[in-house]
Amino acid sequence: MRVDINPLEDAPETAQLDSFRQEMIGTSVSLIDTDVHNYTRSIDDLTPHLSLRWKTYITQGEVKLPGVSMYPKMYAQAARRDAIPYEGGVAGSEPAFSKEQLLDTWHIDCAILNPLIGIPQIKNLDLGRALMQAVNSWTQSEWLDSDPRWRGSILIHPGDPEGSADEIRRLGSDQRFVQVLLMARSSAPYGKWQMDPIYAAACEAGLPIGIHFGGGGDVPITAVGWPSYYIEDHTGMTQAFEGQVISLVCEGVFVRFPELRVVLIEGGFAWLPALMWRLDKNYRGLRDEVPWLKKLPSEYILEHFRVTTQPMEEPPNSQHLLQILDMIGSDDFLMFSTDYPHWDFDAPNRSIPQIIKGELRERIMWKNATHFYALGL
Amino acid sequence: MTMSVKKYDIGWVDAFQSGKLYSIRVAGRKMVLARRGDEFFALRDVCPHQGAKLSSGLLTGEVVAEYPGQQPKLRREGEFLSCPWHGWKIDLRTGCFPLKEPECVRVRRYAVHLEDERVLVALSAKGSLRQSKLD
Repeated sequence: MRVDINPLEDAPETAQLDSFRQEMIGTSVSLIDTDVHNYTRSIDDLTPHLSLRWKTYITQGEVKLPGVSMYPKMYAQAARRDAIPYEGGVAGSEPAFSKEQLLDTWHIDCAILNPLIGIPQIKNLDLGRALMQAVNSWTQSEWLDSDPRWRGSILIHPGDPEGSADEIRRLGSDQRFVQVLLMARSSAPYGKWQMDPIYAAACEAGLPIGIHFGGGGDVPITAVGWPSYYIEDHTGMTQAFEGQVISLVCEGVFVRFPELRVVLIEGGFAWLPALMWRLDKNYRGLRDEVPWLKKLPSEYILEHFRVTTQPMEEPPNSQHLLQILDMIGSDDFLMFSTDYPHWDFDAPNRSIPQIIKGELRERIMWKNATHFYALGL
Repeated sequence: MTMSVKKYDIGWVDAFQSGKLYSIRVAGRKMVLARRGDEFFALRDVCPHQGAKLSSGLLTGEVVAEYPGQQPKLRREGEFLSCPWHGWKIDLRTGCFPLKEPECVRVRRYAVHLEDERVLVALSAKGSLRQSKLD
């Protein structure tokens, strides 16, 4: 049974695009969503893109695709309840449904797909490489070909830097792919030089690295061990983002790859000012450990990183958001995202407080992403 | 001053299953109708947080435990509407999402009457009934 797609509350069906945007979203020209998820219905979606060897392996062993999170969620698939396309279906697995419920409902010009499939969890690197390629080819043929508004992310396996670099080179010429995708939680921090082949390939292709909420390596998911609840898992994800930012800066990735750009996706941003202050302070006393850094750590962060908005920080006093943005010190830093089809979806008309308006709002809702990803809109 | 109230016929009582949510439109207003046994509740079909359609949510209860480690219990089953997006739980009897007692975020409620096996939603001339008439 197909679920009816709920029309946007209060949105007149005949609303003109410009007035819709102006009235509902508060922007004048465009709307870009920098974090949307496409899922397979099952591993069967990938078999057209696999060799006979791996098709047989998967069928014989009834292999299933790993996810990127291990805690039970409040709702099935961590999805909005209205995003399950049909009874027993998988949220985010039907391009036409996602197009209608997300792109059409909200008049989104461009949305970046991040497939949250646990390729990095696969220990058999031969299988991991085959599935990595299959996921990306599936994104290309099933999603990018289905609507010109979709953009893709190249999912890679950080445990296989050489294979990942080859994969970036394989797809880099398809300009619909606009970033390379890693998960925030990892077995080792991403600043390690072993990751260099990935960064070299990303720079060659002119693609940023997107680091997305989720994942899991061979270590506990928080800095203090395994928590009990999803609320701890979800809230504590900022630790992983902080760890990756510190590592990428201090281990000199941006010295080795001055062109490299990184997007922190679904990790929040209110923690960033404190991290920048702390890193800069420590750099003054501990710079002998990282003599390759020629600038303050905060300067590398502002130059090389961008952040997506969802899950939007919701301080009791929304004025504090403006203060946080002022502390970060750049109007180019934030890019709007919904996280569709997940339960913590941010609605374009309600999640960014109205006190953020004018040019800053335009930048967050579309200008920053258009420029950063060179979307050519 | 007497407030004028108009009752709108929604349908037969038996047309609505207990434990289910229904999206209805009454005098141009979008509402979510919930049935719990012989009780009916009607609320505005918009979550006050980010605008999700509450009728896509589910009916659930309140989970309670007095201290960490105590086995949690589900009570008042079917008396809370869980928002389909962020899971905010609205108490059907008050329309409240309690963030910190006694403060709450409130969803507008409408009075529901059962007459001759029919379900009727009552609206005042100005829209919903005042909250005091419902409590």
